[in-house]
Amino acid sequence: MGLSDYIIMRELNFPDINRFERYCQVGGWEAYRTAVKEQTPATIVQMVKEAGLRGRGGAGFPTGIKWSFLPKDVFPRYLLCNCDESEPGTFNNHQIIDRNPHQLIEGVALSAYAIECHTAYIYMRGEFAAAALTLEQAIDEAYRAGLLGKNILGTGYDLDIYVHRGAGAYICGEETALMESLEGKIGQPRLKPPFPAVAGLYGKPTIINNVETLANVPRIVEKGVAWYRSHGTEKSPGTKCFSLSGHVNRPGNYELPFGVPLRDLIESPEYGGGMKGGRPVKIIIPGGASAPWLTAKHLDVPLDYEGVAAAGSMLGSGAVIVLNDTVKAPHVAYKMDEFFKHESCGKCTPCREGTHWLVKVLHRLAEEGHAEPDDIPTLHGIYRQMAGNCFCLLGESAVMPIKSALELFPEEFEAIIKASNERHQRNGAHAIPLRVS
Amino acid sequence: MLLETHREAIETIVGRYASPRSAVLPLLYLAQDVYGHLSNTAIREVAAILALPETAVFEVVGFYTLFYSRPVGTWMLQVCDDVPCCYLGAEELITALKDSLQIKEEATSTDGMFTLQRVKCLAACDRAPVLQANLDYVYDVTPDKVEALLKDLRSRAADARRRGVSGRFAEDFAVTEQGAVELVARDAPYQSRQFEVQGPPPPPEPIPPPEVESGQDRAETRRASPL
Ligand SMILES: Cc1cc2nc3c(=O)[nH]c(=O)nc-3n(C[C@H](O)[C@H](O)[C@H](O)COP(=O)(O)O)c2cc1C
Ligand code: SF4
Ligand code: FES
Repeated sequence: MGLSDYIIMRELNFPDINRFERYCQVGGWEAYRTAVKEQTPATIVQMVKEAGLRGRGGAGFPTGIKWSFLPKDVFPRYLLCNCDESEPGTFNNHQIIDRNPHQLIEGVALSAYAIECHTAYIYMRGEFAAAALTLEQAIDEAYRAGLLGKNILGTGYDLDIYVHRGAGAYICGEETALMESLEGKIGQPRLKPPFPAVAGLYGKPTIINNVETLANVPRIVEKGVAWYRSHGTEKSPGTKCFSLSGHVNRPGNYELPFGVPLRDLIESPEYGGGMKGGRPVKIIIPGGASAPWLTAKHLDVPLDYEGVAAAGSMLGSGAVIVLNDTVKAPHVAYKMDEFFKHESCGKCTPCREGTHWLVKVLHRLAEEGHAEPDDIPTLHGIYRQMAGNCFCLLGESAVMPIKSALELFPEEFEAIIKASNERHQRNGAHAIPLRVS
Repeated sequence: MLLETHREAIETIVGRYASPRSAVLPLLYLAQDVYGHLSNTAIREVAAILALPETAVFEVVGFYTLFYSRPVGTWMLQVCDDVPCCYLGAEELITALKDSLQIKEEATSTDGMFTLQRVKCLAACDRAPVLQANLDYVYDVTPDKVEALLKDLRSRAADARRRGVSGRFAEDFAVTEQGAVELVARDAPYQSRQFEVQGPPPPPEPIPPPEVESGQDRAETRRASPL
């Protein structure tokens, strides 16, 4: 089921679409030109609201509604574009930039115009040095063409867009931590409320959106609400750029309308092309590391926010990781929680200590094969103390891998414990090697 | 001193933000590019430029993983060992690198050329196993490609090609004929943004037919893209 008209990956087969003139040739920057010259900011907000565009950063929050949370007449305002993209399995944001940077910049510019702000920052994870340069160059082109800067197209509207690179911290993708980081501090989340729309960057009203979210805006403004809504489902309109990875034949980014069954993405020869070596699907993580796991019996789940939620997980960032039967569930939980431990910012105790202890127990169990008889209750105990008690969603997300593994594959934990016990009995000692760390 | 050598770049950076403190990360990158790593002196220098308490800057250097407070190799090799890479050859890659370089993780090879580090997801999971060499992506690095990669990186360091990208300093060093490593100067990475606004874009050239049909060949675009 191919798309005839791509939204996010538009015109990718058009040679050199990453160059300014080429993007203009296919109608690029037109929506923005028309908007600043002829349309009011409120019109754009209304269009985005009616199109039902939902945030692609994880929560799926309706973008137009978020924009209308800005308090009236409080200036300056800021627009932040979130390109921190550090969650395992996510890899579409920088590919959007590499292939077609102008689409994102036009999206940022249009959105900035819509929310009446004059300064926008694109926050990129530090590792994206090359993509940052691509963006800088494309932004320079837009300045030269008079589309950014002072008195744009003679309308009196001013807008500056800057690229700001983080320096290697997943937590800076969390919106308030991103603002702290942009203010030159360590990336620790802030207490909410106040929400960023009221008091964000430098305490000013701030809107923050994901790269993919903003890349949708030019097409919505150009082609209209009805056209946009003709893609996807009623509640999740439009298309999504799914990042498919793991044991599939053709990992990569695939733009599909919301609501396509998971099976199509994984098995269709146009997309995932089935499992490597024909091995069975064991674990599907449908929305990046923070999503609860699904299994082969969920292959018919439709890929939209509601469908995946109904199956007990979340669509999140749309990063679909598919693993086959060669992996062991306790090991996957170990690797995932190692990620969260590594990225925990250390601000609150449940997350800082909880991820530490989860990893300690899981490392012993899944990597070294040394288990204590009561490891399962211990693991349940650790994550239960974290769930609902963490300051931000990173800690809450760290609960998902271990909880899923224990719920879906308890027998694998039991098998390790049993084998370990038998070994100990044979050796006549219950010796667990001490690890100094 | 940075303020003498990079005054224009620093002023441009600081001018981008409502508060000078926001320039901490960009200035640390600049200092790291210039000095190779962030020594205590370098960190104090950044603090002084922005008139910040030193602890505020030391804290930032400690928090973010891309700032190196110890000397590192000319090439920083950062291998992703996250899910899914770890099930698609990342461990084999790390072993191959350790064997070839004769070093442990987090260590630097005796010639000062390579430092090896495990890192978390690099957002290129579709091209596993993957690593970054000074933030340059290297995709699909199966162990059999390791020798060629290291050779290439060594010769690139020797060529000391100049590049204006923050966070990369390998190319700023050249290996002299005697085998010593020396620093090569290069242009400031930040220029201020003052352009002559040009007229409307040139009239569109006729659009050539797309080379490939959409749909199936989209995957080809993916593979053919520099990513
Ligand atoms: C720990 C954590 C990491 C996050 N990382 C990202 C990220 O890398 N990119 C992103 O767009 N959103 C990320 N988010 C979500 C953002 O906080 C925010 O909701 C999002 O950028 C809003 O954009 P949207 O409305 O367009 O979805 C993260 C959230 C949390 C809790
Ligand atoms: S939950 Fe974790 S990442 Fe979030 S504030 Fe607490 S320690 Fe930091
Ligand atoms: S897990 Fe290795 S790049 Fe994402």
